Amino acid sequence: MAYSFPEEVLEYVFSFINSDKDRNAVSLVCKSWYEIERWCRRRIFIGNCYAVTPGIMVRRFPEIRSVEIKGKPHFADFNLVPEGWGGYVYPWVVAMSRAYPWLEEIRLKRMVVSDECLELISKSFKNFKVLVMSSCEGFSTDGLASIVANCRNLKELDLRESEVEDLSGHWLSHFPDTCTSLVSLNIACLASEVSFSALERLVSRCPNLKSLQLNRAVPLEKLPNLLRGAPQLVELGTGAYSAELRPELLSNLFDAFTVCKELKGLSGFWDVVPAYLPAIYPVCNGLTSLNLSYATIQSPDISKLISQCQNLERLWVLDYIEDSGLDILATCCKNLEELRVFPSDPYGVEQNVALTEQGLVSVSEGCPKLQSVLYFCRRMSNAALVTIARNRPNLIRFRLCIIEARATDYLTLEPLDAGFGAIVENCRELRRLSLSGLLTDRVFEYIGKHAKKLEMLSIAFAGDGDLGLHHVLSGCESLRKLEIRDSPFGDKALLANAAKLETMRSLWMSSCSVSYGACKLLGQRLPRLNVEVIDERGTPESRPESCPIEKLYIYRTVAGPRFDTPGFIWTMDEEGNTPLGIA
Amino acid sequence: MAIVRPEMKSYIWLQTTDGSIQEVEEEVAMFCPMICREVLQTGMGSSKNYAIKLPQRVNPAVLGLILDYCRFHQLPGHSNKELKTYDEKFIRLDTKNLCELTSAADSLQLRPLVDLTSRALARIIEGKTPEEIRETFHLPDDLTEEEKLEPLRNMTDDPRIRLLNRLYARKRKELKEREKVKNVEVAEEHMDKRSVDDLLSFINGGDGDSKCVRSAKNKKKNRRRKDQPRNSASNNDNENREKETESLNSAHYNGAVEDVSSSNRALMLQDSSSATLLSNLDFDDADIDDGLDPALKEEIDREVEDFARRLNSVWPERMQEIYALGQERRLLQIHGNSSVARYTGKRNGSSMNVAHLFYRKLILIVFL
Repeated sequence: MAYSFPEEVLEYVFSFINSDKDRNAVSLVCKSWYEIERWCRRRIFIGNCYAVTPGIMVRRFPEIRSVEIKGKPHFADFNLVPEGWGGYVYPWVVAMSRAYPWLEEIRLKRMVVSDECLELISKSFKNFKVLVMSSCEGFSTDGLASIVANCRNLKELDLRESEVEDLSGHWLSHFPDTCTSLVSLNIACLASEVSFSALERLVSRCPNLKSLQLNRAVPLEKLPNLLRGAPQLVELGTGAYSAELRPELLSNLFDAFTVCKELKGLSGFWDVVPAYLPAIYPVCNGLTSLNLSYATIQSPDISKLISQCQNLERLWVLDYIEDSGLDILATCCKNLEELRVFPSDPYGVEQNVALTEQGLVSVSEGCPKLQSVLYFCRRMSNAALVTIARNRPNLIRFRLCIIEARATDYLTLEPLDAGFGAIVENCRELRRLSLSGLLTDRVFEYIGKHAKKLEMLSIAFAGDGDLGLHHVLSGCESLRKLEIRDSPFGDKALLANAAKLETMRSLWMSSCSVSYGACKLLGQRLPRLNVEVIDERGTPESRPESCPIEKLYIYRTVAGPRFDTPGFIWTMDEEGNTPLGIA
Repeated sequence: MAIVRPEMKSYIWLQTTDGSIQEVEEEVAMFCPMICREVLQTGMGSSKNYAIKLPQRVNPAVLGLILDYCRFHQLPGHSNKELKTYDEKFIRLDTKNLCELTSAADSLQLRPLVDLTSRALARIIEGKTPEEIRETFHLPDDLTEEEKLEPLRNMTDDPRIRLLNRLYARKRKELKEREKVKNVEVAEEHMDKRSVDDLLSFINGGDGDSKCVRSAKNKKKNRRRKDQPRNSASNNDNENREKETESLNSAHYNGAVEDVSSSNRALMLQDSSSATLLSNLDFDDADIDDGLDPALKEEIDREVEDFARRLNSVWPERMQEIYALGQERRLLQIHGNSSVARYTGKRNGSSMNVAHLFYRKLILIVFL
């Protein structure tokens, strides 16, 4: 291309290149490509809101239409990240309101969003279409009201698992009568009743509505009418799935489901009354995704349901399914790709259901396409893990949560090193792994040696000492996110592998043995990292440097230390002086 | 007005930039919007003397290809499948020819062909690293090391590092440019046009942290000159002495920083002080006193260097670079981060749906 290849043509070629990875590669080819690419980039993903500033983003990419930003570390889901940690989206919205008047989509995960923020969004972007807030918090239904009232072209409003201050259900009535653009609405996390008539009218006047996820407050009796108003639905989350037993309701529901020929995904099912389950039989064969994680029904009912869903690709279910139900799953659902089994009684001491490692083994044998697993159970053996690994070398995500910490192989009483070792050795494409059970440094040796594609690793109550961490940091070439709790990892491994941290998105360590001195050292040596010490006992300066800190969050950034840290977070300073912290 | 031949076919005359002229069946040539327009608007193309001059990007070879495409596509009666098969075979060209073809098709405004070839080029680009793309398209590697900021030859191919690095590099460049401008002014400003506040703060040790830092660094440099090389055993004595001095220093700087903390911010925002800051940069060594046991320190240093070597980066040079960058980044965060985060966090405990079991939130609590 030594001769002139006009910019518009190159731009046109780039318009067919959409993955972040490819676009980033394109921008690094040469000066002219960098310039062209930056002007035609429409979508950006920011995996850590503190890795870059809003200012940098808007300056480099002037024509963005879609933004996705993530905030808090993953362990925030387990309440390990104290309140007030950060992740405020406000500065981003302010910057974008000035720079991107044509912004269409905002997707947030684990961020703090205020009502002011939502109002600003609703007023700043004339063509705003998509708002997805996953595990976010800080806003109320008033904020939602501004969005639905002002965003004339709203297509998606998805509140998945956010914590919303639920003042009333009135916000839904703020959708103007002229709104017909809705494609996706997910209010499953809200508690209050919304006006049913407003909901019904909204649903029936939006011909493109494909995904509707109701909250628990929507009673079962209202469901048939809603469905009739939206027979084109592809995804449905029911409200409470219980009512007194009335034959006419059952048949009404059944008929309504019959009309939904496009339905592929079902969820909701709070308070399930099993007698009403047959109402969904008409759609079972078409289902690819079924989320029964709130459904407290027992194994026979679950099994009956599953046996009709031959095309199931994704199943989320409580451990009420038991080994017997999983056997049936293995027999009937040959297209299964993802399985998540959640605990019904995680705090109970005794096992309350007949779910063991056998269930997972069966599924691994019977479902050739299985690639993603999240499994809670109370016992595991190396033999089972080895079998699973051999059965399913195509696993991409494997998260095993044995409920008791440091549980041994129940057959041999050994650590589970060999089992997880087999997983990483056989599953060469493994990208995500969560460990549990009794584990020594051996397992980390295996992981460092074999898990070359591993991007995210979660460790709890595992390992013997620094060597374990050293294996992981020095061996896992693709590692992007590492989160560790309650494991005896200390300074040496971190310091020896300090440079590795700049190639990762983030590292979280809590209740480990990392000393304050080591944190300071890391902060000095690697100024392109933010080394944040989280300690609710007060300033680490008041304790000896060798004293371990409570929690540590390290992430790479070009934005420098952040200014919104709460009083219990200290950012290690580059010069090794008093760490930056707003007391 | 086309010349009518015995077989009743009409032809259009086209001329490429190399001067050669050829005649092409009318229906084929007219498939190209640019040629079509020329014929209709100017009447050109009817004879050899009035051949239509094609755009520069259309050489005879690529014209041949384009005309083949037009010839096939303008014929009615091809099924979609046939067209698709033809197209797939058609674009099986080497990259250079594909580029020429795209470029030529664009200049002839032949949209469907531009589409076809552009998609093909996109597929070629996808999945490649920047180096590979450069090689494929013979593009210059003209982004400076600074702009790429890839001192760590990534073991992973994660482009997000590069994205961050890029952004960082650009900011540095901007800052450097600004500094060049400022340096001219700095000389004059030293002629004390500063306000009393400035002077007081300066005297009190506060160009914010920077001044403290500079002093600290100077002190460390002095200490180091007295030192033996850090790997020697006689380090011990010096180290102890250094530990004392360092703790004293840090206590002092603690105080200093707190005293001027408010004026720090104000100062840092003033361009003059930042320029002074930059021009006084002077770090030659990465060595830091960390109070670790020397043997352990040795070991760690060795491991670190080992690792660094494995990553193809040169540690000491990098450290120099890093320290140089460190000062500038301070500015970056001042000028780049225009707004301190503002939020109104709402407490929402009551609204949390207790009845809902967010299972993912529960899992590891169990281990408490």
